[in-house]
Amino acid sequence: MRERGVSTLGGILLATLAGMVTAALIMDWVVVDVHTPAPDAFHIKVPFPLVVGHVATAFIPDDVMAEAVVPPEVRQHRELVLTAVQSLLETPDATLVKVRADDAHVDIRKQGDDLVVAVEADDASVRCTVPLDGVLDALDDWDWETFDPGMVFDILGAVNHGELVTVEAEDGTRVAVKIW
Amino acid sequence: MKRTPIIALAVALMVAGPALATDTTRWLNVHVKEQHAGTNVEVHLPLSLVLSVLRSVDVEHFHSGKVDLEIHDADIDWPQLLGAIKDAPDGDFVKVDAEDANVLVSKRGGTLTIDVTEIGEAGDHAIVKVTVPDTIIDALSIDEENRIDLAVLLQSFDSLPDGDLVTVDAEDATVRVWIE
Repeated sequence: MRERGVSTLGGILLATLAGMVTAALIMDWVVVDVHTPAPDAFHIKVPFPLVVGHVATAFIPDDVMAEAVVPPEVRQHRELVLTAVQSLLETPDATLVKVRADDAHVDIRKQGDDLVVAVEADDASVRCTVPLDGVLDALDDWDWETFDPGMVFDILGAVNHGELVTVEAEDGTRVAVKIW
Repeated sequence: MKRTPIIALAVALMVAGPALATDTTRWLNVHVKEQHAGTNVEVHLPLSLVLSVLRSVDVEHFHSGKVDLEIHDADIDWPQLLGAIKDAPDGDFVKVDAEDANVLVSKRGGTLTIDVTEIGEAGDHAIVKVTVPDTIIDALSIDEENRIDLAVLLQSFDSLPDGDLVTVDAEDATVRVWIE
């Protein structure tokens, strides 16, 4: 008599699929979105899990990293940098710097745990969100001796979902890096 | 009625809430306006942030909020000098009228003011006004090694009333530094 139900192999496959879908849903994803204008218009969206970027940094050859030594004068300012970032985190929300010039407008604003930098120039506008809490954690954990590319992904991990960097050029090109 | 005290408490909280939540952050502001190019720069930083950073600076001639004035040849009794300025009665201390500049150092109501009017060759003027309230004079401390304690000086800004500290009004630019 044929039994109804799912075979062991089917169960494993289903469980694996469910695990992958769940993992994909709970993981942070970075989406790089590029639009270029006509006549050679194209639109490309490259999504990848943040963890993949982190893992990829492990494959950077050791000899490359050995050369990426942080100058001692930078190391000397560790406390200053950590204090500045910590103080910024504790700063109430406000526009901290505002520059208005003929060819560009710059605004640096504290917004929640983020520092938002917006530049409006004649030929491009750039908006960047820096997660101060992520930066502080990453800088605190960093050895300040060699550049650590993984640190970038640690910082990205602290970003709230949304647009992290957007660049809009005069010719209509738009590049956005989003965390999803 | 039992409800009366509850309603009274709710009303009291509604009235007192905004007052209790008043932001006590003191802000150091710098506004620079360049006349010809029309560039306008506004910096608005919490005093606590500036202080934290100042105390962490560790560079030549500037450690832990103290700046070396690099006075080596003069033997100045700073406590006596600063005490004399503090205890001096209101009046005009220094008045210079020259072809290229007028300088007036005076004290009114415990506040020291330094007014400089520079007269350029083309008849253009630059007017500089520095206001030093008695709180700042009290906090001004220069040790035997001729190091001025900027951190303590800046800390004293916390108890200053809102107002201008430095204003510069020149042909090419205006500068305003104030606390609020």
